[in-house]
Amino acid sequence: MIQPFTQRPIQWVSDQGELLQDLPERYTPEFIRELYRHMLRAREMDRKLIPLLRQGRTSFYAQAHGMEATQVGLALACRSGHDWWWLYYRDHPIMLTLGVPMLQIVSQIMGTASDSCKGRQMPHHFCAKEYNVASISSSIASQIPPATGTAMAQKYLGTDEITVCTFGDGATSEGDWHAGVNMAAVSHAPVMFVCENNQWAISTGVADQTASETIHIKARAYGMPGYYVDGNDVIAVLEVMSHVADQIRSGEGPAMVEALTYRVGSHSNADADAEKNYRTREEVAEWTARDPLERIEKLLQNMGHPISEEEKAAMVGEVGDEVAAAIDEAAASGTPDWDLMFQDVYAVQPPHLAEQEAYVRAEQEALA
Amino acid sequence: MSLTVERPQAELGETKTMNLIGAITEALDEELARDKRVLVFGEDVGPRGGVFMATAGLTEKHGLDRVFNTPLSEAAIVGAAVGMAIRGLRPVAEIQFADYMGPSFDQILSQAAKVRYRSGGQNTAPMVIRTPSGGGVKGGHHHSQSPEAYYTHMAGVQVVMPSTPYDAKGLLKAAIRGEDPVIYFEPKRLYRAAKGELPLADYTVPIGKAAVRREGTDLSIIGYGGVMPDAISAAEALAEAGVQAEVIDLRSLMPWDKEAVLNSVAKTGRAVLVSEAPRTSNFMGEVAYSIQEELFDQLLAPVIQVAGFDTPYPYVQDKIYLPSGNRIANACVRVLNY
Repeated sequence: MIQPFTQRPIQWVSDQGELLQDLPERYTPEFIRELYRHMLRAREMDRKLIPLLRQGRTSFYAQAHGMEATQVGLALACRSGHDWWWLYYRDHPIMLTLGVPMLQIVSQIMGTASDSCKGRQMPHHFCAKEYNVASISSSIASQIPPATGTAMAQKYLGTDEITVCTFGDGATSEGDWHAGVNMAAVSHAPVMFVCENNQWAISTGVADQTASETIHIKARAYGMPGYYVDGNDVIAVLEVMSHVADQIRSGEGPAMVEALTYRVGSHSNADADAEKNYRTREEVAEWTARDPLERIEKLLQNMGHPISEEEKAAMVGEVGDEVAAAIDEAAASGTPDWDLMFQDVYAVQPPHLAEQEAYVRAEQEALA
Repeated sequence: MSLTVERPQAELGETKTMNLIGAITEALDEELARDKRVLVFGEDVGPRGGVFMATAGLTEKHGLDRVFNTPLSEAAIVGAAVGMAIRGLRPVAEIQFADYMGPSFDQILSQAAKVRYRSGGQNTAPMVIRTPSGGGVKGGHHHSQSPEAYYTHMAGVQVVMPSTPYDAKGLLKAAIRGEDPVIYFEPKRLYRAAKGELPLADYTVPIGKAAVRREGTDLSIIGYGGVMPDAISAAEALAEAGVQAEVIDLRSLMPWDKEAVLNSVAKTGRAVLVSEAPRTSNFMGEVAYSIQEELFDQLLAPVIQVAGFDTPYPYVQDKIYLPSGNRIANACVRVLNY
């Protein structure tokens, strides 16, 4: 039975790949392999896209390395294309797992003409309307009140959709976080708040972020259940998130989940020397030893269904090809037209923007 | 204070007399009835009807799921409106006083104003934020400010401020039916002071269009919101001295009707810009800039601004702070004698 407010994060599989609880029926070796494949795809996507920075083909990269179990488990616990998502910028593995095409993700990161956001946002600020993924904002925690609003609308409309809202530990210090969580609780809105506690908000550690013992216990003050899960244990994440999603969908009101995980890489290219600057190599080593992918490899080994080196190499090769093809296709689409800058500010372009667009057009034509 | 005299707006058909806040209530009532996607909410707007009673009777009529109280949180109110709008509703959020919009500023700046643009048009936030603004009601500095200029500086939101009951209803309906986030400032000192004729038939007032309140040939007085009755009384005082002032009510600040302003100033050659917001970075600075850029050769005098002062809004001295009819008339005399 999955309970809120546990002292320790809920686990299913130990760091050594040993089962700590009986596996529910759906976890056949094939399904566990599927979970592994999703995580590997996310890991390899990161690995293949980081070089874009060195090549000058993107200006920012926010690695999700280490957080794959949290993100893949969460994505699979909800209904793709049915539930709604207010994500933060490090959540590309969630989108990938929901089925958002690699090309769409890569195009946004590169700001090419194939970017559905028209090259207007900095990298890692995605939007995917067809998957109900709302546009991501850099302004930390500003997605919390809108997520509450989307859930209030779902309740008003009488749908069986839920809204999922993710954020990091740093976001929980913002006023908007408290405002949005409180309003969701009061309005009994069907929203799942998920703290991907990766323990670092750029260089500020979670102990400097909050004096609370954990993040999930804050839920108690707002009048909603708070769950604590090992965010590097994909089976525990999937089980807890599925349970919470079901509860919310059945009309129980909002809930919060804290997934304890770790950002192995830097926050972005801006703090590439993270280990030298603000955290110890020992700390990083401690957490890389708890790697979510290795844990599943060990579990499958223990279950007598090991992933062979050849099988793993084939999976890696497959993702590599997928990423390379997406990069090529995105690049081939070219650069977004300059005049897109003046579109979509309002539903109908007002006269002053038409005037400003005409000014740039004349300037561009003179240069041509 | 002189009452706003409503000029007939083309064919009004059958009419009734209403004050400005009654026109707002009626607009909300009719839009709630017309479209089930419309929800009205904020602090105390439910059964009590809001601190100014703008939503009085609406919960009773349309139900608590459509007209309701929220926690005391401007960030949550505006942010929730964004999320509702993206999910397909037409939220009308009330912020109790424009002075309290601070906590919601980031929700307007980072979310409401930006979702259409940053998502490449995939997300849109058709929503309205209604809020009483301006002074003259002995409210002190947290119940009297005019922060509209902040919001005109933020691409992606529309900003309107009516000064007549006709416009109050028509602009609010246009805002609710429109596809963009709209900040709808309500000049609270005109809530009950401004009365006028409203058609019984449904109508809207387009956002972005100014109104000519009085025609004239000698100078143009351009204002919006709470200062309009004083602008009109100044023009009437000047008329007694044989000067015909044209009076323009901008009604919308973003987008604003540059064409109407330039047409008027091209005709008169003189402009007095009136706003009660603090002078520095006042929205009228943009109007003045546009006039000098387009009509420099045709101006017969410098453009003059009559505004509030760059102080926090004072309590006891609020009548001195606000542009008076006399102060506006003196500015007119100054441009006429230049």
